[in-house]
Formats: sequence, C-alpha cells, structure tokens
Amino acid sequence: MRAALAVARKELTAAFTTPVAWAVLMVIAFFAAQFFNGALDAFRFLTLRAMQLQNPGLLERLSLTERVVAPLFGSMGLLLVIVAPFLSMRLFAEEKRARTFELLLTAPVRPWQIVLGKYLAGMATMAAALLLVALFPLLLSFYATGTQGGAGVEWQTVGTGLLGLLLLGAMAMAVGMFVSALTESVIVAALVSLLFLLSLYVVTLFTIGMEGPVRELVLALSASDHLTSFLTGRIELKDVVYYLSFVVLGLWLTDRALEGARWA
Amino acid sequence: MIEVEHLTRRFRELVAVEDLSFRVEKGEVVGFLGPNGAGKSTTMRILTGFLPATSGTVKVAGFDVFDEPLEVKRRIGYLPENPPVYPDLTPLEYLRFCAGLKGLPRRAVAGEIERVAGLARLDGVMDRLTGSLSKGYRQRVGLAQALLGDPEVLILDEPTVGLDPLQIREVRELVKSLAGRHTVVLSTHILPEVAMTCQKVLVVNKGRLVDFDTLDGLIRKHLPGRTVTLEDIAFLEEIYSKLVEGPAAAAAALAGLGAAPGTAPEVAP
Ligand SMILES: Nc1ncnc2c1ncn2[C@@H]1O[C@H](COP(=O)(O)OP(=O)(O)OP(=O)(O)O)[C@@H](O)[C@H]1O
Ligand SMILES: [Mg+2]
Repeated sequence: MRAALAVARKELTAAFTTPVAWAVLMVIAFFAAQFFNGALDAFRFLTLRAMQLQNPGLLERLSLTERVVAPLFGSMGLLLVIVAPFLSMRLFAEEKRARTFELLLTAPVRPWQIVLGKYLAGMATMAAALLLVALFPLLLSFYATGTQGGAGVEWQTVGTGLLGLLLLGAMAMAVGMFVSALTESVIVAALVSLLFLLSLYVVTLFTIGMEGPVRELVLALSASDHLTSFLTGRIELKDVVYYLSFVVLGLWLTDRALEGARWA
Repeated sequence: MIEVEHLTRRFRELVAVEDLSFRVEKGEVVGFLGPNGAGKSTTMRILTGFLPATSGTVKVAGFDVFDEPLEVKRRIGYLPENPPVYPDLTPLEYLRFCAGLKGLPRRAVAGEIERVAGLARLDGVMDRLTGSLSKGYRQRVGLAQALLGDPEVLILDEPTVGLDPLQIREVRELVKSLAGRHTVVLSTHILPEVAMTCQKVLVVNKGRLVDFDTLDGLIRKHLPGRTVTLEDIAFLEEIYSKLVEGPAAAAAALAGLGAAPGTAPEVAP
C-alpha cells in the first residue's frame, strides 16, 4: 500500500506540474458555468410563463433541482467522458515512452500496487473536477428557497447525481488507464479511449425508433442511460454494477497488460 | 550471488542472448563488455526482473528471478541504460518517490536520500526540475536512485555515460569502494574503466559468452608470456578485439590498421 501511495503522490505531483490537469479543471469549470447559466435562464423563462398562465399549481411543481441541477449534471456527464481520456492518457504511455517504466517494474512491488496508485491519482483529479461541479448547486442553494419555505435545492438528488458522475468518471478513468497501458503514445492513448467512451456514451442515439430486445441491449450497454436514475435521485443496483464492472475489469486488464508488456 | 544458467532471450526471430551461463560471487565487481547489440542491456534487464527470459534460469542471492521476483528486486539497485527520471519532478521528489517504491523505513528516508545525493554529487540541484538538468546530472540522479537503500547487488548499465571526466573518476572510486560488501555488475564501452574498477571481465558477442575471467586470467590466456601493468591499458583493447572480432582483426588492430570496435567488418566467430 505504501508503494501505491508513493506512486499516487508522484503522479499527482507530475500532473499538477504540467498544465494538463489544470487545463482539464479549467475546461470543466468553464463549461459547467456555461451550462449552469443556460439552465438557469431556461428556468427563469419557465417561471415567467407559469406566472403569465396564472397557474400556481404548475409554478409549485417547477423544481430547481429537476430543471437546473439535473440538466447541468447531465451535460457534465458528457464532458467528463470527453476530458477523462486526457487525464488518463499519460498514466502508463508516458512511462513507457520516457523509459521510466523500467524503474517501476524493477522496484520490489507487485504490478497491481502500481496500477492502484495510478488509479488513485487519476480519481483524485476526477474528484477535484466534481468538486468544481458541486459548487454550482451550492451557489444555487444560497439564493433559492423552496415553495414551502424549505431548502431550494434537493440535496439528496444532488448527492445521487454527484455519485453517478463519480461512478461514470471512475469508469472512464479505468478504461483510459487500460488503453494507456497498451501503447507508448500518449496521443493514441487519449484518442482510443475517447473513441471508446464516447461511443458507449452516445450509443443511445441509435435507439431512436428502435424497438424490442435490441433496444434493451443497446440501452443496457449505454454509459449515459445508466446515469439517468442518479440524476432523478435514485440509486439503482444495475447502474452501480454497470459502472463498477468497468472499473474492476479496467483495473484487472491493466494489471494483466503490465505483465504482458514485458513479453512483447 | 548471481547465478545465470543457459539464459536465452529471443525477440521474435532475433536471438539477443543465447545460452549464457556465468556466476558472480558475493563482493565481486564484474565488468560486462561487448559490442553494440551484443545483449548486455538485455541480460541486465533479465537479471533485474524487467524482462522474462525465453529459457534458462537466473538466481540472485539464491532466489529465482522468475519465481520470487520481489525477493530479487529487493536486493538489487538498478541503473538502466536510459536514466529512468521524470522531467516533472525535482531530484528530491524523485528520490522520495523511489524510497517509497522500495519501501524504505519512513524514518530512514531523509538520511538515506542525503547519503545517496552526496555519493552522486547532487548538491545544488536537488530542488530543480529534472527536465531542466543536463544529461550528466540526469545520469547522476539515476545513479543515486540505484544506490538508494544500499542494496546488496548493483546492476549498472553504462553508469558513466554522459559524465564529465572528474565525475567519471568519482564514480569509479565509488564502484571500487562498493567492492567487497556489494556485488556489482557494470557494463561499459570504456575499457580503461574495466581495468581500473573490475576484478572480473565478462565478454559477450552476438548474445554469446566469449570469455569470463579475472583480468590476470585474461592476460595469461590471450597474451601469453607478456607482462603488462594495469596502468598500461592498451593490452585490454587487444584482448577485447581478439575476443570480439577474431584473431585476424586483432592482428590488424595491432598493426595499426584501425579496426576500432564497431566500425570493423564483422567476422564470423
Ligand atoms: N524490445 C526489443 N525488441 C526487439 N529487439 C530488441 C529489444 N531489445 C533489444 N533488442 C535487440 O537485442 C539485441 C541486444 O540488444 P542490447 O540492448 O541488449 O545490446 P547491448 O549489448 O546493450 O548494446 P549497446 O552496447 O548498444 O548498449 C539487439 O540486436 C537489439 O536490437
Ligand atoms: Mg546496452
């Protein structure tokens, strides 16, 4: 475990010495702010319409969490899938290119400790990105009050939404790390994992107009479809299992890849 | 301390190391010689557990590299051919990282880093990014890493490459001072280095062992009847070209026709 922590620490030091991690965090903050403003404008427009229609029932049912936070988190899901490959690309590809891989593999540690350390570092950066996203509902809660005078933001839904995003990020990081362990090229690592993750994320587009078991299958494979319950405040076992199985598989395959890389 | 038996390593159809066997006793300093591509680095990578062998066995301190890699790795300090340093870390951060990887006791880390930094003459650069250091300094950082934790066995792949003449002399002194307590295998293309620091010489060519003996043994075997002093190192060049290129080339070299290792046409053994 000590070795894993040493790897994680070194990885974070390197990640925040180079501009990559900072750039990713900036991109996240920038787009989160844009989506947040957009969703807030849409919400304002809706409340105005409801007032014009003189429909107090409708006005009461308009929920900030549902209309602002959930769409924000939904867009952040796509954004996470797009930026995660840039956080994971260096993990192993860079070690191989710079020949520091030899140092890691001749150290008295098992490969899984290296894998774990790298993954922890990747997830720490991912968690930092999610903290940035979490600032927006927090900001909202300072200004909004509920219709009955309670909190304007449903914290439970915010919580499950963040958990969903964290699981999605964990999946993206595990997939990206595995791809990074297969190549010496940082760019190839980023592009291949981006292609794979993005396909899994937008595969739902193909279900439009589809029916029956094929549609069910595509939805079951989709990384975005498994996020929807989290965004509406529910934690469903099948979604958790979906994301965690990618994490476990990704970590295991990376460990195998490290062993296998030496046989090439 | 190191027992290599019938070691073979293939890269697809290319045989990099072929049926190599030798033993290094505890406390010996062995120089590993051979032309470019002879298989020196490959052998060292197998000894350190980085590459698996295609066939054959390697034991370090009685532990098989393949069966008990951690026991072996714990006992080896390894300087690879390309110093394995990270441009985004300072030497201090780097050595702390290596100490963590090697699992040195926490309390000993600071002192141990100071010790190896002193041995590798890193004072003054410990807080600069390694990426901005000169090649020689990067090599020294790599060397400090190998010495970290005072391992019993040191495997140094061309440790003096890129160093200035004074530093080369210091590294030689360092290696000499390690002899006895440590077992050292170092590869080099600088023959005087071998004469000055090593007790035994291991010569490989095209993946095969050509000779493995003490300096005195080599002189007796290949230059019978000649008396040479260790200060006069030309004799080693003569032996080397005999072993690696065959007697004809050695004769040519002797005649001053310029058969520098590597540039001469290869003669089949
Ligand atoms: N990963 C690899 N894949 C394919 N061939 C390799 C690989 N590593 C080494 N070789 C080949 O194995 C042979 C031995 O290489 P090695 O690096 O061990 O030589 P060396 O004795 O260290 O040479 P040098 O003096 O130039 O450092 C060379 O022909 C090299 O091309
Ligand atoms: Mg070499």
